[in-house]
Order: sequence, then C-alpha cells, then structure tokens
Amino acid sequence: MGEHDIQTRFQELPAAVREKVDTVLTDAKIAVKLKIAEILADPAEHAEHAVTTAGRVGAKSGEVSELTAIMPLKPNGAERLRKFFTLVGGNLAGAGQVGTLHNMRFVFLDNDTKLLFATAYDGEWDPYIDDFATKIPEFMDYLFGNVEGWPGITSPAVKDFITQHQIPAEAWFVSHPNITVAEANRLKRQDAAVQTFVDALN
Amino acid sequence: MELFRRRTRRPTLDLDDIQATVLRARPEPYFGTHAIIEITDQAAGRQLLRRLAPLVSSAARWDEPRSSWMALAISYAGLVALGVPQDSLESFPANFRAGMAARADRLRDTGPNAPQHWEAPWGSGRAHLAVSVYADNEDDWRGTMAGYERQLQDLAGVRLLSHQDFGATGFNVFGYRDGFSQPVVEGSGAEPLPGDGRPIKAGEFVLGYPSETGQPLPMPTPDVLGRNGTYVVFRKYHSHVATFNRYLRDNASTEEDRELLAAKLVGRWRSGAPLALTPEQDDPAVGADPRRINDFDYTDDPRGLRTPLGSHIRRMNPRSTKLETLSDVNIRRIIRRSTSFGEPVVPTVLTADGADRGLDFIALGARAIDNVEFLQSEWVNSGNFVGLGKEKDPMISLQDKGAYFTVPGSPPRRVHGIQSFNTLRGGEYLFMPSLSAIHWLAG
Repeated sequence: MGEHDIQTRFQELPAAVREKVDTVLTDAKIAVKLKIAEILADPAEHAEHAVTTAGRVGAKSGEVSELTAIMPLKPNGAERLRKFFTLVGGNLAGAGQVGTLHNMRFVFLDNDTKLLFATAYDGEWDPYIDDFATKIPEFMDYLFGNVEGWPGITSPAVKDFITQHQIPAEAWFVSHPNITVAEANRLKRQDAAVQTFVDALN
Repeated sequence: MELFRRRTRRPTLDLDDIQATVLRARPEPYFGTHAIIEITDQAAGRQLLRRLAPLVSSAARWDEPRSSWMALAISYAGLVALGVPQDSLESFPANFRAGMAARADRLRDTGPNAPQHWEAPWGSGRAHLAVSVYADNEDDWRGTMAGYERQLQDLAGVRLLSHQDFGATGFNVFGYRDGFSQPVVEGSGAEPLPGDGRPIKAGEFVLGYPSETGQPLPMPTPDVLGRNGTYVVFRKYHSHVATFNRYLRDNASTEEDRELLAAKLVGRWRSGAPLALTPEQDDPAVGADPRRINDFDYTDDPRGLRTPLGSHIRRMNPRSTKLETLSDVNIRRIIRRSTSFGEPVVPTVLTADGADRGLDFIALGARAIDNVEFLQSEWVNSGNFVGLGKEKDPMISLQDKGAYFTVPGSPPRRVHGIQSFNTLRGGEYLFMPSLSAIHWLAG
C-alpha cells in the first residue's frame, strides 16, 4: 500500500478519530523535542532545578518553595486591604525581616471577592509558621483577618486553613534555586567587601 | 556538679499530676534503663498500665533529691494497641500519629540514618510503651528495675522488646559535660540561674497551660488524656568518638590546638566551660559552677570569633544571636533528658573498637515533635539561619562528602574532612501522659 493510499484511507476515517490521531502525533513530537533537549542539556544544571516537595503542600526547587492560595474575602475585605496597600504605596518593605521571603503578591480576583496570595520562600512549608504566630501575630491577623473563615494566626487550625486554600503549582522554576535570601544577603556583603578591597588597592 | 535547682517560688502547675521527668533533673552520676514494650493484647496492656501507675513518679517536690524514679511514655501505635477510642486517636497531631520512621524526610534521616538501617525494635511499629528508670545510685536503680520487672513478668500479652541500660558521671562518651542547659518552666517554681533567660510559658512544655502565643497549644481529647501530658522525642545515637579524635588529630598538631578546635566545634570545653567565658583555655572551675556555666550570651560576639556561629551549642540555643531568618528562639526550647550509654573514649584513641556507645537524645515538650523536626531541618542540617549556607551542625548532623567546618577569625579557618560523629540507630515519637491519664488509659 503506497503513501497516497494511506492518506486517502486516513481522510475516510471519522473526524473524531482523525483529530485524536493528530493530537497523539503532536504530543509525540513535543515529547521527542523535550527528550532531545533534556539529553543535550547540562545534566548538572538539570539536576540543580529538580522539583521536589515543600513538605505539607507545594513545590520546591533547590531551597526555594512556592505557595499560591486563593481565599474568599469578607464583605469589604478587599476595600480594607486596598486602603492599607494604597497607604504604603504597595511597598511591603518591612516583610524583609522574615528573612525567608523572596517575593509575595496580593491580587484581588472576581470583582474583589477573592484574594490571590502568591509567594516564593526558602525552605519548607511548616518550619516558620509557628514563628509568625509569636513574632508577627498582629500583622498576620491584620492582613488575613479580611479573609472569610481566617481562624487567627495563633489558632491550632491555622495550618489546615492555609493548606485548604493552597493550590500547588504544577511546574516550578527558580533561576538560582540554591541562593536563599540569607545567602543573597551574604553575597551582597561579600561583594561590598571585595569592592572596598579593590578600591583600597588603587 | 549540683544540678538541682532550688524552688524559690510557689509552683502554679499541677505538679502532682505531671510526671517527674518533666521537671526533675538528671542526677550526677546517674544510672538507669530504657525498656521498650510491645502490647499484643489490649486487656493485658491496660492491666500493665494499672500495675505500673503506682510506680510512675509525679513532679511534686521535684526540687528535693530522690534516689530513683520511673517515667512512662506511649507511642501512637501503643495508644492504638490499648484500644483508645478513634476520636481520641484522631485528636493527636499528624506527625505523632505517623511516627518517627515515617517522618524521616522531614527529620533528614537519610543515608546511614534512614529507618531501614535502624536497630530493632525501632521503626517496626511495635515499640508501644517506653519505661525509663533514672537513679542516682546503682542499688536503687536495680531495686526500682526489679519492681517494674515483677509487674511485667507473669503478664501474657505484653512483651519486652528491648532493654537498654545507661549511666554516666555527667560527661558524655566524647568526654564533654552535658545535660545542664535547660529552659526555666514558668510556674514550676524554679529559681532561674544566671544566663537561663526569662522563664518560658508552661504551655510550651506541659499541655493545658498558656504557651508563648498566649493560648494553650492543641491538646488531645478528652481533657483527662491531654492535660498535664507532654510529648517525648527519643533518638538513639551511636557515637563515633575515634572518628572525632582522628579529625582533631588530622587538623591540629598539639594537644592544646586539638582541644581548642574541639571546643570550637562544641562551643564549650570538656568541663562545660563555654568559649564565651573562657575563649583561650578550659576553666574547670567555671564548668563545675551552675551559676557560671550558662552565664553568657552572644551579644558581644556577632561574628562568632569566640563561639563560632556554626558551633553545636550556638546552633541548638542561639540565645541573643541575630538570626538571618525570623525565628522565635523561645518557642524552640526543649527540656532535655538525654542519657549516655557505653564507655567513654579518651582523646588518644584513634581507631574504633566496635563497642556500643552513644547518646539517647530525649526531648520533652508540648512542641517537642515539631521542634525536633524544625531543629533537624533548619538548625542541625542547614546553616542558612546563621548565614552559613549548607554548613551543618558539627556534632549531630549527617555530613555530606566534602563537608567542612568554618572557624571564624581573621582570616577564617576552613577545616575540611568533617565526618558524621553520631549515627542514628532508631527512635520514636511518644506521648508522656499525666498520672490521671495513665489511669484513664488503663480503663
């Protein structure tokens, strides 16, 4: 049977079947491309970006974990939060004291009825939640108190509450997975020392 | 050294109901045994609890010397074997219910420390009851043990799985004084000694009282089961003292230099005297004085020039160290009741003799399980919290190939070739019930 015959017979198949075959072939092409890219890639770099688990929930790459949560807001919750965010000009500089936080964002969804909270942080899910409850409880409750059902940061139920609203990422990439916030601080200090040294040499 | 604290305030805790071990310090010298028991028949298990209940000591008059006392703790599998109702079982925290072996990832118990390499009965799910006897002399130890053994003897349906004796003079098998740094429990009436820091809220150590958050921590139900109880983390380590000695020998040429390097790893000299107080050489008089041995913090040593940031005692109790991450050091305190077993090894011995020796690490507290998981991942097997990247605790971590230890200085000294000086042989998460809870469990 020649190629022409195969094409003719293929065109005679029902549309649903043809579509299925096309999808499978397209998927296979992408899979082959990805596999080749993986083979050609630097194995050390590939291993460095391996995605593991952040513990209770979420993905982790190297030392950096992701947390995405969508939570329902209380009536006027978005309004109150927006007032605060406007007051500080969207600048949450004080959060630097946490020392494990790379970034975080607050986004209102669905006509201000829901809050999207997304962050990248060092380490795993559990370790520092307990510390927030004794070190910055007022701030945690001030922000998340606008969320429907928030049990309070000192409540035994708080970890389960966050877990219930967290949506784990299906894929996760961090450009420098082994540079924690603490490590970045150290590198900045080290660089400053090197620059001072070089200046002094001249 | 006189380890007993004085009671200078009126206790507000229910000391008659709390087990002695929560507040009673380990004597010096000390003798004792940890026995692990399996319950194969529910009725027999309850019968054993009824028999042992009168032998379990309370914390009443914990400040008065006592020749021996007995402690009892139960694993989750043990509670199941005793037929504790399902809703009570479900009221215990998830990590306790999973058991230590199942939490190996969180505890960083991998490679040689992984549960598949543990000694029996650890990790088998059969370690149900842990009975510990502590004594300040050999006769009373044997006497108390005989009393407990009589209760066990003729009871079918309970089985002794392991029986491990311990005992030491107050110095561990590496030759270092240990076990003397403890948090002051608010409401215990204990007199804080210089350097102890402020008393920590009782709810951090005993269930049913306000914790550092101001609220009591979650407690298993019913109330009679949870209140006045606490959690225990038991981890048995084999100590590689000859490996430690060899590391010192390979990296320092005189005895003086070896002792200094060792002190930099530990943060203290062999006598217990801290580098913070005597940075140049050991001062046994400081080590023997409970009012001086802990009388320091790290405020004037931010770079760790005297006590390295990565040294064992500074990691385990950072005191006033400015940490890189937001951590509340007051919720990470544990009551330590660790016990040494086997013969100590002197610094001149450089080859392992294969003998069994080491440390039973025992931590008590309402957060003990969370805290040991936190310590293992954040403060023992990482250096991130003090800006040391992937450097690990020099004494109790699992070291990777090519690991090193940095001694701060100008210039800093990087000492390569550090090994794991302790290997985990097993362990379990336990619940230490109040005396009334033991009666409730006995049915």
